[in-house]
Amino acid sequence: MGRMSFVLRRLALLVPTAVGVTIITFFMVHLIPGNPAVTILGQHATPSTVAALDKQLGLNQPLIDQYWLFIDRLFHGNLGQSLYYGVSVSSLITSHLPPTLWLLCYAAVIAVVISVPLATLAASRKDGVRDHVVRIVPLLGLGMPAFWFGLILQTWLGTKLRLFPVTGYGSGFSGHLQSMFLPALTVAVALCPVLIRSLRASMLGVLGAEFVTTARAKGVPAPRLLVRHVLRNAVIPAVTVLGINIGYLIGGTLIVEQVFAIPGLGSLMINAIFERDFTVIQSVALIYGVLVVLVNLLTDVAYVALDPRVRFDA
Amino acid sequence: MRPKRALAAALAGCCTVAVLAACGSSASSSAGSGSSTGTGSGSASAGTPVKGGNLVFANPQDAESLDESTIFDNNSIWIIEQMTQPLFTVTSNGKSVMPLLATGYTVSKNQLTYTISLRKGVKFSNGTPMTSKDVQFSLEQTMAASQGWGYIDSAIKSVGAPSADTVVVNLKYKWAPILADLALFANGVVPDNYGGKTAAAFYNAPIGTGPFKFDYWHKGSALKLVANTDYWQPGKPYLNSVTWTDVPDDNTRQLQVTSGQAQIDQFPAWSTVSSLKSNPSVALSLFPSTETNYLAFNEHVKPFQDVNVRRAISYAINREALVKAVLFGNGTAANSLFPPQVPYYDANSGGLQYNLADAKAAMAKSSVPKGFTTTLLVPSGNSDYATIATIVQSELKPLGITVNIQTLDPNTTNENFQSGKYDMAFSLWTMDIPDPDELATFGLDPTSGSKSFFTFYDNPTVVKAVHAAEVTTDTAARQADYNTAQTVAASDAFMAFLYYSPYAYVEGSNVHGFDVTPLGNYHMEDVWLSSGSS
Repeated sequence: MGRMSFVLRRLALLVPTAVGVTIITFFMVHLIPGNPAVTILGQHATPSTVAALDKQLGLNQPLIDQYWLFIDRLFHGNLGQSLYYGVSVSSLITSHLPPTLWLLCYAAVIAVVISVPLATLAASRKDGVRDHVVRIVPLLGLGMPAFWFGLILQTWLGTKLRLFPVTGYGSGFSGHLQSMFLPALTVAVALCPVLIRSLRASMLGVLGAEFVTTARAKGVPAPRLLVRHVLRNAVIPAVTVLGINIGYLIGGTLIVEQVFAIPGLGSLMINAIFERDFTVIQSVALIYGVLVVLVNLLTDVAYVALDPRVRFDA
Repeated sequence: MRPKRALAAALAGCCTVAVLAACGSSASSSAGSGSSTGTGSGSASAGTPVKGGNLVFANPQDAESLDESTIFDNNSIWIIEQMTQPLFTVTSNGKSVMPLLATGYTVSKNQLTYTISLRKGVKFSNGTPMTSKDVQFSLEQTMAASQGWGYIDSAIKSVGAPSADTVVVNLKYKWAPILADLALFANGVVPDNYGGKTAAAFYNAPIGTGPFKFDYWHKGSALKLVANTDYWQPGKPYLNSVTWTDVPDDNTRQLQVTSGQAQIDQFPAWSTVSSLKSNPSVALSLFPSTETNYLAFNEHVKPFQDVNVRRAISYAINREALVKAVLFGNGTAANSLFPPQVPYYDANSGGLQYNLADAKAAMAKSSVPKGFTTTLLVPSGNSDYATIATIVQSELKPLGITVNIQTLDPNTTNENFQSGKYDMAFSLWTMDIPDPDELATFGLDPTSGSKSFFTFYDNPTVVKAVHAAEVTTDTAARQADYNTAQTVAASDAFMAFLYYSPYAYVEGSNVHGFDVTPLGNYHMEDVWLSSGSS
């Protein structure tokens, strides 16, 4: 199968996945008790004013009708109006998507930058002290809750040493790079242990391969051997691990965005849930779903690019 | 007004929609905690005001809308008040009104016509002068807002504009709170006919006579106002701009102020406030407020129709302990439906206080002398209410009352409370106007939409007194009526009055002149930043 038809087929499969996401999120948010009219009216809400606002917002329609309206709009490229703000959902998403994408990419880069040298270090001395240290210490990252680790970074690197802004998204490329470092590091630290372990394991596998023995026998220096021969082959399984973990990463950004006051999709989503802004919840969940599918697709494409033996026939 | 609760902070592990909504959060949050014994402004205006600087608020929640005629959310209201101004405004003690865009008024003999003279030389932020036509239009738009603040103007029959600087307000009947009503932000002055725009387009970027004008609103992240160069008070405002940023996490807001990224933390969590004392770069300010916290009983659920049960519970709650545990001592026990900052508050109305012997005696007289099992509805993600609930639970045990705490997320809690699906629940009020009428009607009249604060409490003596106080302007007569209402309601213990709390704000030490009225309003035109600010 050619590359184009593979990608097209996978993109076509995106449609049923997305529809599935819309069904699940739509009915889940409506199963939860609560009503956006109550949020909007606050202290002054009375059953009659809530009912009137429900009608105005179209929330008194049967659920199935509301769902069809949502789907119908969706296929016309319209995500509807935010119930809370009264503006179009797409305008909210357009302004909140870039910080989240920034955070995701930045975190992935930092995770790779941390993991590759550490895994190489560990694999080069299997069962040695540094192997054990590299295998155990990053595990702390898995165990530390992001909101706690984020707070520690903010307090030390932000408030005490004033190396980085405590919160926010910053402005301009260098501003983003600086402001988003702590949040990206927070996300990356949770990702590193998995990445390091898988990279180390596959490097050890490659180290035992015959071509490595041959290279060694030919007198290739150890650093060159590790980087050019071992790492290049070992990175392929790690790419898959990274791709799969992007889904996990997206979940992690929800909390990290709150802690660092980043105006991203996660913040939008959490506020929308508390305000029962149904249209926003549905749309953001859909975006997240699409994002995960696209990242998986990209992973597969990258896999083939890295390893010519793998063919597009999944 | 609706005090906003800080949203989730610690959302660890809650990564799906359903889990998020169901688990709420365990974060500490205490928005809108405000008091009667506050220490007043911590930002003493030392020195001469300096021009310039950009002030940033760290807010637990974003604004919702800038439409003054329909908005109930405090975050939005306080921003709107920097852009549009009413004819009168609340005095700094929160008990009366003084002219703002008006300069004075006369009342007709039959007290049905108020003739108000307007301040001369006032311009909107787009440079056009304000006239009586604008005032007439503004009042009429709010009178027509049936889903919004229309009810606050329901005593107004018509508004006239006989000359450019005179406005006439005709009433349907004698109405004591009219000046207080006119001082509400919802009656702020906007240009006639929205300057030719639609209401929706206008309120995307409203224009008013206030010290600041709209710059941008990135929804869900930040809203910025810049100085109005046409402002009518000479020399003001001092600041170049004010920005409200949306920072739900309590700890993050505090870090922003300590690191200088923000200058004012609106609604710090009480639990985080105590750690600030050692930090010289920030100050905690407590402002006397009208915020009152209650425990409501649903009289449609047995045995709460029994006055002895309600009295027993009211007696059993140690309010001093609550103030200590929740506000870290920064508040006082409540002894009336009204807070002390409200005119006609009666300190001797006899709101029940902690007395275990009286509690047991009342319980013995009740229909359930051996006790009963009931449920207390608590909003999740709010450590204050979680603490109170646990204390109440243990305090009612000696009476044989088993309290099951039902924690639901805030939105569901409100919905259940307002539709009467609860046994006991927490309730809270802050004043919108410097007159008790709104609170009295909302809280004590079972025929109002709020069904006596959703308790279904119905005592004809109280209802009669509340409405008698509306239609007389005689201060002594009003005081007598409100005394009756407060005393009878306290004796009936239709709610347990818990505590009055101050408004807490954390300010950078370079912030000066920031003052909050007991109603929660602040005037940013008086605020300035000393050097070293952003």
